Amino acid sequence: MTLRTALAGVVSAIGLGAPALAQDVAVITPYLAQPGTQFYVDGFTARAEELGWDVNVIDTAGDVAAVISRIEDVVTQGVDAIVINVDPAQVGAGLQTAADAGIPVVGMDAGSDPLVAANVTSNGYAMAAETAVYVANRIDGEGGVVMFTFDPFPPVQVRGVIADAVFANFPDIEVIDRITPDVSDGGIADSRAQMEAILSANPEPGSIAAVWAAWDQPALGALQAIEAAGRDGEGIVITGIDANPEARAAIASGGNFEASIAQDFDGIGRTAADTVARLLGGEELVQRVIYVPTELVTSANAE
Amino acid sequence: MTQLTLHQISRRFGAVQALGDVSLTIGSGEVHALMGENGAGKSTLIRILAGLDRPDTGRIEIDGTELALGSPTAVRQAGLRFIHQELHAVRGLSIAENMHLDHPYPLRFGLVNWRALHGAAAAALARLGLERLDPSHPMTDLGPGDQMLVRIAATLIGGGDRPPWLYVMDEPTAALTNAESERLFDVIHGLVGQGAGVLYVSHRMPEVLRLSRRVTVLRDGRKVSTRPISETGQQRIIEEMTGRDVGNLFPDRRTAGSGPIVLKAEGLSARGLRSANFEVRAGQILGVAGVAGSGRGALLRAIGGGVAITSGRVSVDGTKVGSSPSRAWRQGISYVPRERRSEGLLLGRAITENVTLPHLSALTRARLFLNKRRQRRLTEEIGRSVRLKAASVSQSCAELSGGNQQKVLFARALAGNPKVLLLDEPTRGVDIGARSEIYRLIRRLSDDGLAIVMASSDLPELIGLSDRIAVMRDGRLAETLEAEGLTEAALLARFYHLEEEEGVA
Amino acid sequence: MIWLIRRFGGLVGMVAVVAFFAINLPQTFLTLQNWLNISQQVSMLAVVAATMTVVMVMGDFDLSVGSMASLSGVVVATLFLQGWPIPAAVAAALAVGLIGGLFNGIVVSIVGILPFVATLATLTIFSGLAFLISDGRTIFGRDIPAAFGDFARGGPPIGAVEDRIIVLPNLVIVAAVVVLLIWVVLEQTSYGRRLYAIGGNSEAARLAGVAVRPLRLTAFAFTGVGSALAGLMYASRVASANPTQGDGLMLTAIAAVFLGMTLTRDGQPRVLATLAGVLVLGVLDNGLTQMRVDSYVREVLVGSIILAAVGLSALGRRGIAWR
Repeated sequence: MTLRTALAGVVSAIGLGAPALAQDVAVITPYLAQPGTQFYVDGFTARAEELGWDVNVIDTAGDVAAVISRIEDVVTQGVDAIVINVDPAQVGAGLQTAADAGIPVVGMDAGSDPLVAANVTSNGYAMAAETAVYVANRIDGEGGVVMFTFDPFPPVQVRGVIADAVFANFPDIEVIDRITPDVSDGGIADSRAQMEAILSANPEPGSIAAVWAAWDQPALGALQAIEAAGRDGEGIVITGIDANPEARAAIASGGNFEASIAQDFDGIGRTAADTVARLLGGEELVQRVIYVPTELVTSANAE
Repeated sequence: MTQLTLHQISRRFGAVQALGDVSLTIGSGEVHALMGENGAGKSTLIRILAGLDRPDTGRIEIDGTELALGSPTAVRQAGLRFIHQELHAVRGLSIAENMHLDHPYPLRFGLVNWRALHGAAAAALARLGLERLDPSHPMTDLGPGDQMLVRIAATLIGGGDRPPWLYVMDEPTAALTNAESERLFDVIHGLVGQGAGVLYVSHRMPEVLRLSRRVTVLRDGRKVSTRPISETGQQRIIEEMTGRDVGNLFPDRRTAGSGPIVLKAEGLSARGLRSANFEVRAGQILGVAGVAGSGRGALLRAIGGGVAITSGRVSVDGTKVGSSPSRAWRQGISYVPRERRSEGLLLGRAITENVTLPHLSALTRARLFLNKRRQRRLTEEIGRSVRLKAASVSQSCAELSGGNQQKVLFARALAGNPKVLLLDEPTRGVDIGARSEIYRLIRRLSDDGLAIVMASSDLPELIGLSDRIAVMRDGRLAETLEAEGLTEAALLARFYHLEEEEGVA
Repeated sequence: MIWLIRRFGGLVGMVAVVAFFAINLPQTFLTLQNWLNISQQVSMLAVVAATMTVVMVMGDFDLSVGSMASLSGVVVATLFLQGWPIPAAVAAALAVGLIGGLFNGIVVSIVGILPFVATLATLTIFSGLAFLISDGRTIFGRDIPAAFGDFARGGPPIGAVEDRIIVLPNLVIVAAVVVLLIWVVLEQTSYGRRLYAIGGNSEAARLAGVAVRPLRLTAFAFTGVGSALAGLMYASRVASANPTQGDGLMLTAIAAVFLGMTLTRDGQPRVLATLAGVLVLGVLDNGLTQMRVDSYVREVLVGSIILAAVGLSALGRRGIAWR
């Protein structure tokens, strides 16, 4: 929130604000304090400013029920569109209110729901396919692969399924182990411990060709285990997904951790704005999930 | 010789004449004792002397020069010093610094000159023969007795127009051990030897007899007498302190009720109470007397369940009473506590709420839902019978006079048709008019067959109302006296277990 | 003058707030639908604040209500995961609230720990249990029976506006029943009047035969069950449960009771005044959101308004004391 928007808020609160002629869009999220969400919202507001809209960003500070309440309020206020960044299943009551009033709702990485006109997100299937294929190609379609997955969380479960399919399609790739690490401390420590066990079980150099991780933390844990075991010279290929700062640093240093996938948060925000524009323009969206391209991060572009 | 003279000092608070035409002369070189019961006017007199309150009429002179009234500063400059029973030592400061709390610290180059500070303190202590105290030690290392002596020594530190010549000591020994008191007496002798005067207020007869040259007795705001100690004695002082004509204040005595035994205590013990045995019949009033801390209040609280009974039992009509206030009320024991504000009333709440509080269960429909009309009606009815004066029963108790607040508590006690009524200081802080009404009410309730136990520090009230008086000493019910024909002096003597031979009739 | 501020300042302030929004939001604020929205939005807070009033009447506090709400939501969702039917799971969650409340009561009245300290400790305990039971995760989606989530979205129809059916939300009905029940308990039963007596002067009440300990103990059961119920309402509204979702209710509920106390003649907590306090907070959130006031600015404004209301009332009270 900038000082200017704060002042604008006060001004309108004391009743001096001129009635808005431009499109009125409310962005409602319980998670504004989280870094990813901030990027989405910044991208959205930047694009909305170009389009000349009035954007009201509402943070409920973790309170999901308050998201419903605020959706009801902005529906009453009569906004032109609503953007949410929360699981639609949790705010169904609010979405129904918006639907009844004919106000379109767009999700930013929110999940699909019949009451959400479109959800703008990254393609989890594509991200998993891209890293899995990267692994397969790097090891020339041959050798043992360790997978780190996490099926309890649906968006990550999807990635594992795709990687399974990719590796199954290479007859000479053998999945040595498919591990679900304990994520209660972020996943690095337990992944490292699990990887150490696998390294002990497969002592011959070359017996492990690659580690595919469904997100970055297990990849970092595996990297630590390999380096600690002194087996970083064997050319074990590691990939992750999300390209968080630690992963980027590891990739940039040119070690075993070779690739990850960066989501374009800013692009998701901008595309969400464009999607709102299309809806406001009267367009019927056939495709209710809109994917924003992701980028493979390797030592060439990790900085 | 310097003399302080009070000329016809009068002070009235509302309907109460706290002081009426009190004249008194105190000279340097004498210890002058001021005696009187609680409420006799001692505190008011001292407050006026200290400049904390102004008399309505009268003046104060020192050697013929009029003293400005209502000015603590003028009083101080005239050389008067006040020593109170409460000690206000500042923790963490040394003896010397505590002695300088109301004097400027000696400075050098704008900073505290510690050597001079300690020197001045040591010199002042030496004048009272207190060389054994090191002024640089923390004040809180000292016992209350030495702290008091340090406070007296502090008055000798320079400053002010006139060195102190008259000390007013208000119950200085109240918190002291015997040995500490002896050291104080040495210091008082020393001060008097150096030409100072002392106005000495105390309830402790032996020290008054030992220290004073003259004794002034106040009663009900009037001076009864000022006599040299050689012309008076314990008996005379007690008679003068208590000798009020109580004839018209108390309703006529009638033959003691001889109904069945209602309240019975066997081996009753609780905190502050050891093994009390007594019984009270219907229509009887048992007075409970004794000095503060003797177990007077503890006895009532134990019966009423306010403190846990540790052994023994209380029974009403032969049924054992549970040891909690709620059980006691349920079994017909009602209680009017001593501290009206802290123990009795819900001050900010309506009269109705206060009166019906112990009886709410009886005022419900289906044992749950409050019947507010019955609540109101009961309060109005019982309020009339105790002659409660209030705008309406929904008036807040905070807005009532002390006497009417007391009547609210009586109304509460009576609303449940009790069998036993416990009264702890029933007329404390109540003016004379309401007092006689309360006396008549107590007598009427007793005539109606209630068993009443009344603890009081007011001797006329005990003698005037009770059928028998239980005397408490050190937590024991020491003896039970017939009230008929008992004199206040004789009763007071029993407090201290004085023998007849010592001169008390 | 000061007396007038004290007596009617709160009321005038409330009317002013409503009037302000009515003027600035002429099309939307004073509509039936908006007020139904507001009442539904504050329904959970109303339940917690009403039961909080029960302990505040005695001069006590219960800081554990928020984490109890979270805990009950997590309990009900976890039981759904295990295939419990809705009525049984709901009853179990309410039982957890009852047990937690009685535990608070025991710690405060029998052990004798200050309510502030005691319930601060149980706040942490309940919160820890909520994390323990849920494994720190949000339970949602297919795991929550549709009927449970639908409850918060539904309600009996009370009319139609332009072919849209307007319903009286179930959550509002639940809150109304709770507030009515608490009103009856506090104002119409001997139990409630004894609680007020404890708040007026606990020692005097004891000596007048009020069984202070059992009463204090049981009063905390109200906040326990009330916050568990609010937690269920919350879980139903969001059709999910996570171990922190009710935490925000505690401070807001206490604020609502304090706001309400500025409205009563004698400065006592009263449940209808508490309800007014709850509505003020709800109206502020609703109106300021509609006026597009930044959410952080909104928080500053709401906090300032609470401070102003309670401060003016305190000044008024001191004015009385000066007389």
